[in-house]
Amino acid sequence: MAKTKPAPVESETAIRVRALEAILIEKGLIDPKAIDALVDTYETKVGPRNGAKVVARAWFDPAYKQRLLADATSAIKELGFSGMQGEDMVVVENTDSVHNVIVCTLCSCYPWPTLGLPPVWYKSAPYRARTVSDPRGVLKEFGTILPEDVEVRVWDTTAELRYLVLPKRPAGSEALGEEALAALVTRDSMIGVTVL
Amino acid sequence: MLLTPDLVPVISASGQSARVDEKIAARFKTGTTVRVRNLHPTTHTRLPGYLCGKVGTVEIDHGVFIFPDTHAHNLGEKPQHCYSIRFKATEVWGPTAAANDTLRVDLFDDYLDPA
Amino acid sequence: MNGIHDLGGMHGFGPINPEPDEPVFHAEWEKRVFGLFATTSAFAGFSVDEFRHAIENLPPAEYLETSYYEHWLHSFEEMLAIRGIVTKAELDARVDQIRQGGQ
Repeated sequence: MAKTKPAPVESETAIRVRALEAILIEKGLIDPKAIDALVDTYETKVGPRNGAKVVARAWFDPAYKQRLLADATSAIKELGFSGMQGEDMVVVENTDSVHNVIVCTLCSCYPWPTLGLPPVWYKSAPYRARTVSDPRGVLKEFGTILPEDVEVRVWDTTAELRYLVLPKRPAGSEALGEEALAALVTRDSMIGVTVL
Repeated sequence: MLLTPDLVPVISASGQSARVDEKIAARFKTGTTVRVRNLHPTTHTRLPGYLCGKVGTVEIDHGVFIFPDTHAHNLGEKPQHCYSIRFKATEVWGPTAAANDTLRVDLFDDYLDPA
Repeated sequence: MNGIHDLGGMHGFGPINPEPDEPVFHAEWEKRVFGLFATTSAFAGFSVDEFRHAIENLPPAEYLETSYYEHWLHSFEEMLAIRGIVTKAELDARVDQIRQGGQ
């Protein structure tokens, strides 16, 4: 028979959050169902699969790619993705001579509509501290080693523009349709810490 | 306002852009060389400390945005241009940085001087 | 401000260590804090700039020792206290009540 797990002890932080939410509900200031809806949106609906669709469309349709690089916010909205922390978007393209990587040294700015909520490492001190000063060292930790003649272009996105990297289309993907292309695109390649 | 669940998809998909629809002159044209001001306010700023005094080039003019430094303290929106400034990695981090690498940082008019 | 949040170029934080197959949230309380941003700004009327500045006001050692969503919690507490909507004493009293088995 499996042992019954003891109930986990609620952390001090968890208690404090519960207390704050309870007070705000009692004062009639928040509706907890709105919190449920927000959590559901960013846990199940908004995430890096959205960004992958944008990238695949850009690879598949040269006219779309042109629009995306010229006015990313509108082009991304064409696919139905917009809003909080993606109000003003910029897409930067990786080429044979340029590799882009995104960071926010001051907090953790990140394009929610296309990538969802940021992973812990993106918000962590080591990533924020080192990406600007030692980008090649950071990329190496993600298994990404680039030739010296490639310009590593680090975007410290500390204002209200949000950035998405358009990775290089992988060799051998010429025959693939848009959906199959999207399946190749990873979150980390759209932050720019990996290549495909 | 009480945020109700039916409004969540609306606010999530619309967000709240910090872009300001006002005709305000840009202090710098793209291609201009600029020097980041040596600023150390004790209040809110979005100027990373490592850039103080560094010289870069205006690469993109993003248009007019709310200025966070005043807005954070309820001192008004002070709308102004925000630019992507290109810095050579060696300008910011010295001769040990890779010669080809660059930094691109979004900076406001109030953070910049002509170089 | 020249705060601890201004991390660009600092040394000594060690490797990045990405977590494989990371979930969107790591605990139930993180979900509640995440949802408090939009719900709280809707009635309290703070900007993202004020929100960020309240995070920057964390004492440096605490900033480094606490997680992203703990920073958010601190920010809400500070902004709600400044507005007199939820005082620190009121929140502390409720925390005590929960610790003693209440709601």
